[in-house]
Amino acid sequence: MPIYEQGYRRWEARGPLRSIRFWPITREALALILAKRAFLGLLVLVWLPFVFRVIQVYVVTRFPEAGRLLPVDGRLFGEFLNQQSGLSFLLSIFGGAGLIANDLRTGAILVYLSRPLTRRDYVIGKLSVLLLLNYSATLVPALLLYGLALGLAPELFLKWSLAWIAPMIVLHATILSLVVSLVALAISSLSRSARVSGLAFMGVIVGLEIVRGVLVGILDRPEAQVLSLQNSLRMVGNLLFGIAEGSAVPTAYPPLLLIAVAAGCLAILRSRVRAVEIVR
Amino acid sequence: MGEPLVEFRDLAVSYGPLQALGGVTGVFLPGATGLLGPNGAGKTTLLKTLLGFLRPDAGSLTAFGLDPGLRPLEVRRRIGYMPEVDCHISGMTASAFVALAGELSGMPRDEAISRSHEVLYYVGLGEARYRTVDTYSTGMKQRVKLAQALVHDPDLLLLDEPTNGLDPAGREEMLALVGDVATRRGISLVLCSHLLRDVERVCSSVVVLNQGRVAAAGELATLTGARRFAFDVRVKGAAAAFLTDLKDAGCEWREGEDGYRVFLGDDVGPELLFRTARECGVQIRHLRPAAESLEDVFLRALGHEVQD
Repeated sequence: MPIYEQGYRRWEARGPLRSIRFWPITREALALILAKRAFLGLLVLVWLPFVFRVIQVYVVTRFPEAGRLLPVDGRLFGEFLNQQSGLSFLLSIFGGAGLIANDLRTGAILVYLSRPLTRRDYVIGKLSVLLLLNYSATLVPALLLYGLALGLAPELFLKWSLAWIAPMIVLHATILSLVVSLVALAISSLSRSARVSGLAFMGVIVGLEIVRGVLVGILDRPEAQVLSLQNSLRMVGNLLFGIAEGSAVPTAYPPLLLIAVAAGCLAILRSRVRAVEIVR
Repeated sequence: MGEPLVEFRDLAVSYGPLQALGGVTGVFLPGATGLLGPNGAGKTTLLKTLLGFLRPDAGSLTAFGLDPGLRPLEVRRRIGYMPEVDCHISGMTASAFVALAGELSGMPRDEAISRSHEVLYYVGLGEARYRTVDTYSTGMKQRVKLAQALVHDPDLLLLDEPTNGLDPAGREEMLALVGDVATRRGISLVLCSHLLRDVERVCSSVVVLNQGRVAAAGELATLTGARRFAFDVRVKGAAAAFLTDLKDAGCEWREGEDGYRVFLGDDVGPELLFRTARECGVQIRHLRPAAESLEDVFLRALGHEVQD
């Protein structure tokens, strides 16, 4: 069709700029990720521990004698979240590896940044994708589990002495999701290939775990416990939920390491998310 | 012509130690402006500074009266940018991609979706709009880049090498589209290219950059207009004697494809040609003031000798 026969309508309904500008980025990226069947399968896998925990809660609240073997208290939620952290890493590898890497490869980053968006909007938009995915593996099932426990055994859980559990679930899930999401996003911004980013993320997690194992096991350096990201997250969780920690690591070390990791990731994102790549 | 949309004065931009723009001054007027220059002249740098991606080291740049460095979001929402490099979102259909671009530019979602379909039809991708952009050919990717730049109906369209990688037919179609945007849809545009024929076909004015400086600027018609003392001449008869006599009279000449281009001296007019022809016994079969092509202007601006 000749182009002069094709319509073009002027659009003059410009309003003020939105204050929340990142949401379309998050929504569309989530839609692309959730359109993959393999990822939906992974999400189902992530919820399997929740099913087992539901059975556990049901059994111990219905048969009080079982509570002696499997106590239902704050520890249950701490352990559940620690368990979910591994799955959260998996979700971040498959969901987050390409978030920025693909944009760098296909030049989409220019499409985003040539719009009325700041670099911060872009990073928040991408980070929100991972936060939502990670919350779906941590915060949502943990809160549901807590709600279930309250419903099944209010006499056990509905008391002031246990009122701290819900805020701690929110805090631990947020720390866990935020740190894992930031690391995944920062690694994604370092490559133009989603596959390379995913492998690098897995390499970092597994590599640090091996280094920790070597230093603690062979060289007997307990402070090396914090070297592993997963272990540091677990130690912070144990701290929040009052789970006894056998190691001699000072309490402040794991949170400090997580803060340093988050700051490092933000610095990487700040230097990598640019519309202009300067090659020297 | 109206008020300039973009003004830059003594604008200097560098990438670390490398100076990309060294104090350029100029304007982009409403209408279609060609931004010309060899590779590395600073064209893309100027566009990126206009979008607020780069901060000037010195000088000033305003777009719609706003400083893109200070108010980048307000400037960008009025600009549509078609980058030189490939750009799409992996796995996304063209309609979703263009709708997202509209939404990111501040359009309500429903409006962005409806307009994405219109714009994709406009650029000739109506039938392919539900395919993922990854599966598109180079020509289709160029069109979808134009669609995402147009979806929010910008006041100024920045087109960075829009015909890159296109075959001759695709190039013609893209230039027809760009020309239509500029002439019939009333959107001003800056066409950044090193292909002079593209610029000549679409633009009414040009800015020529060379080594980070403005080498020439102005209306295309003025720059390529007839030169007062140059004439294209075709003669019948003893051309050699005619040309020798002209040279003796202080004129220069060069052989062209179909006749000669004669450069008269400063103090003589075209009557010299008739007089010399009469004296040599030749007939002048064709005589017209010589007009420069954009290529001549470009080469002259770059300091090269103009070749006929």
